[in-house]
Amino acid sequence: MFAQERLGVAASLALRHRVRAELLDHLARLGPAGLASRHSASLASQLVEQVEALDGYVARYRPQRLLAIIQPLLVLTAVAWLDWLAALFLVLSAPLIPLFMALVGMGAERLNREQFEAVSRLSGHFIDRVRAVSTLQLFGRTREATDEVHAAADDYRRRSLRTLRVAFLSSAVLEFFASVAIAVVAIYVGFGLLGYIGYGPSSELTLYSGLLVLLLAPEFFQPLRVLSQHYHDRAAALGAADGLVALLDADVEALRGVSEETDPAPAGELVRLEGACVDYPGRGRVLGPLDLTLVPGEVVTVTAPSGGGKSTLLQLLAGFLGPDEGVRRTAPGLTFAWMDQRPLLVQGSLADNLRLAAPEADDANLVAALQHAGLGELLARLPEGLATVVGSAAPGSPAGRPSAWHWPGSSCPTPRWCCSTSPLASLDTETEARVISALGELAEQGRCLVIATHHPALMALADRHLALDADAGALP
Amino acid sequence: MSRPGEGFRGLLAEFAPWLAMLARHRGRLAGGAGLMALTLVSAIGLLALSGWFITATGLTGILLAAGVAARLDVYLPGGGIRTFAVTRTVARYLERLYNHDTVLRLLADLRGRLFGVVAGLDAHVLAQRRASDWLNRLTADIDALDSLFLRLLAPAAVALLAILGLAGFLALWAPAAGLAAGGLLLVGWAWLVIGQARLGMAASRRQVEDREALRGRLVEQLQGLAELEAYGALDAQRRRLEALEAGLYRDQHRLGTLVALGNALSALLVGAAALAALWLAAMAWQAGALSGPLAVMMPLAVLAMSEALAGLPAAFTWLGATRGAAARLNGLRQAAGRTEAAADETPPPGGLSAELEAVSLRYPGAPLPALEQVSLRLAPGERLALCGASGAGKSSVASLLLRQLEPSDGEIRLGGVALPAWPEAELRRRVAALTQRIDLIDDSLAANLRLARPDAGEGELWSALAWVELATWAQALPEGLATRVGEGGRRLSGGQARRLALARLHLLDPGLVLLDEPFAGLDAGSVARLKPRLDAWLAGRSVIFLVHQLDDGAFDPPGIDRRLTLVEGRLAGYT
Repeated sequence: MFAQERLGVAASLALRHRVRAELLDHLARLGPAGLASRHSASLASQLVEQVEALDGYVARYRPQRLLAIIQPLLVLTAVAWLDWLAALFLVLSAPLIPLFMALVGMGAERLNREQFEAVSRLSGHFIDRVRAVSTLQLFGRTREATDEVHAAADDYRRRSLRTLRVAFLSSAVLEFFASVAIAVVAIYVGFGLLGYIGYGPSSELTLYSGLLVLLLAPEFFQPLRVLSQHYHDRAAALGAADGLVALLDADVEALRGVSEETDPAPAGELVRLEGACVDYPGRGRVLGPLDLTLVPGEVVTVTAPSGGGKSTLLQLLAGFLGPDEGVRRTAPGLTFAWMDQRPLLVQGSLADNLRLAAPEADDANLVAALQHAGLGELLARLPEGLATVVGSAAPGSPAGRPSAWHWPGSSCPTPRWCCSTSPLASLDTETEARVISALGELAEQGRCLVIATHHPALMALADRHLALDADAGALP
Repeated sequence: MSRPGEGFRGLLAEFAPWLAMLARHRGRLAGGAGLMALTLVSAIGLLALSGWFITATGLTGILLAAGVAARLDVYLPGGGIRTFAVTRTVARYLERLYNHDTVLRLLADLRGRLFGVVAGLDAHVLAQRRASDWLNRLTADIDALDSLFLRLLAPAAVALLAILGLAGFLALWAPAAGLAAGGLLLVGWAWLVIGQARLGMAASRRQVEDREALRGRLVEQLQGLAELEAYGALDAQRRRLEALEAGLYRDQHRLGTLVALGNALSALLVGAAALAALWLAAMAWQAGALSGPLAVMMPLAVLAMSEALAGLPAAFTWLGATRGAAARLNGLRQAAGRTEAAADETPPPGGLSAELEAVSLRYPGAPLPALEQVSLRLAPGERLALCGASGAGKSSVASLLLRQLEPSDGEIRLGGVALPAWPEAELRRRVAALTQRIDLIDDSLAANLRLARPDAGEGELWSALAWVELATWAQALPEGLATRVGEGGRRLSGGQARRLALARLHLLDPGLVLLDEPFAGLDAGSVARLKPRLDAWLAGRSVIFLVHQLDDGAFDPPGIDRRLTLVEGRLAGYT
């Protein structure tokens, strides 16, 4: 028993590791554009909880399923050798069990799937309200939001109970048969010993064989009972697996296009779009048809009315999205940097965050990059310097700071071109000027910059200017 | 590892608030434990009575065969066996359903209450935690706590009672057998409850934290996929994830081994107790102190005890997970120590004056104060532009005026009334803010607008949208006002989100308005059209614009009367 449990645990650990790795690979392939419509908290909960839900199935259900076949057979042989009529009682009750359990199990599986959805929704709802808690405070709506959270949790309770009612039913069925079989065997053996039963092998029963039959009867059902306890694990795992498979089914090819198969961009060009269009389901065409060529050393600014396809164009250039029509060609071995409107800060020190972009950079390089972005002074004032933890919102760090911190990241590596959305949002005059001059230097070094902005200073820096109009991407 | 007494006291202290909460539902919990006990008694009774019955009938049969006139009432024990068989099934089913319902009820209440706690936290505490952290707190921690009653307290208590009851019952006929079996089972119980808990404590406690770290990294990776992919940093991030996962699984492996050990030990001890009972009962029977059927019944009853102990090893090995969750939820409750203002003075109607007098603000643990001796006065209807670099303290001033932070020193008055004396509802109605970060909830456009005024009719929502030039766009959407905006408004562009937030303000009728970079992310055309409307709406209201810089260009907010600049938490003077 000890060995069985240990091996089960080991197998389950290996499987979960593999499943999570595969999912992460897939999500990375889908990329930012593919994930835009999904809630990152729901996804994270799928990757943590649903993968963990596979545990019970592998560690407990599978080994027990084997035992549930072997042990009853052994017990049955022993009982039959002692008294074939008692064995017959057991045999008669046994096939009914899988039948009932299958009926119950079918319902449980569906309910479990619903429950996983409910858990995902609940966590999405919750993280959303927490993220907006400051705004809810401002509008004096925290009480209503609290009630909403309670209502969502209560809805989850009702869903859970529905699942449990069915899940428990399957074990109750087994329990019932096990109890009845013990009772029947006991009464049969008792009456047989009293000589009340005049047929069959009961006359050969002795006190000892009778007791042995009684003791063996519960053992006949025990593995099945344990199995039914783990049946819930199986249903949970299947529900989880469905959710995970649905995630894996998202089509990478359709999203990213087939850019690998197109010819590279002609020499001297970095990226070339030919008649490229992008459609979003439910929103129709958001961009294109568009022809665009990027060459080294040029600065291109993109303006558009809000919702006019700026981000889509950048995602298309970066290859996060594939064109639905038309072609995207890139120079071989092209590298690029990306700076988001909402910059990423990972949990960790300032240095960790900078090294995301340049893993090999030493501290001196990082300091230089920070000074380059006009952050040298600020760095000097931090008591812990590069080791200052920034990921979990350092105390007193205002919202404006992250994008400032983030800037040096893009200048560390040697990307040949760089996409950026509103890079100057929430910077003050002085930092702004330095960032602009740093951008100018990047361009002089032969890198191509594509910047979505309305900022006059950046527009002045640009060699070329693209204005996308509201009806999806016409060019000057 | 800490000393046992101290560890136990710490454990009790951490669970105390939750035990107190459980105690309020005494009736339901007692009912649940009662059903649990009934199930167990039926299981023991079924096996024990069957053994007694078979032995009794066997002996009677032998006597009958020997020609001795013997009588045995077969109907009463037969009926008893059947009753036990049915009660065991029914009681078990009801017990599980009833207890899960109880626990989930408790949890739903707890979840709502805990969100209330989060909602009462001040801006600084909120900024320190990540959304993924909160998510884990409220879902996983509370779920971990549900095992407190259902898997820990109730089964352990019922098992202990059953052991004592069984030992007493056996001792009625054979004191030695009762004592021996009871003693062995008690040792087993103590090991399963205390020993397993101690061995598993550290590793299972880490599980909660490790899982949280894993989830935090995952959210991070998913949200930052664009940058990670661009930097080619996906692999490095993956390695960090895998290191976390490996730690998590190392502990799980250890815990799994421990549970297996506990299960094996429990089976061993029940077997040993049954053997002891058998041997001692047989001796008593030989000595003539005990009838045969009773002697057989004893070991069978002890064997049935394995059911009472079955859940304990797994539950108590994982005690640390529950404990960690309890400790962290305690920490959260302590962080929310803010009290509601009780006074209710009536502020004047119309544009509100605002005064800061020598206000300082220090964040706990921060080396530099966020604001130092800031004094400013805003007359009713005046428009002030507060300029400054990021980190200069603009948002701190806003948070103070919005009562999301309390000043460390100094006094703040709005409309001549001290800020702490403002009734909460009145303050939220009269002071409106457009924050730098736009929070949209993952709900419909209408729901987002109605955050400002829940009773706003559709017509008002449309006119608010028209005011920010979103009406045409919204009308073109297939679902109109019912269109969902996605997580954090992700399905809207940055400019649309900002304009939606402005529309939200338009539904209010505030006396003081704080606008943080009202035109950030908007294109020149939109700004040109929006500016005069904003100007008109702001007439008669007091306004503070928070801006990085003013360049007297098209992007400057309208109608500024006065400018102040903040430099590193101090006012740098009038410009």
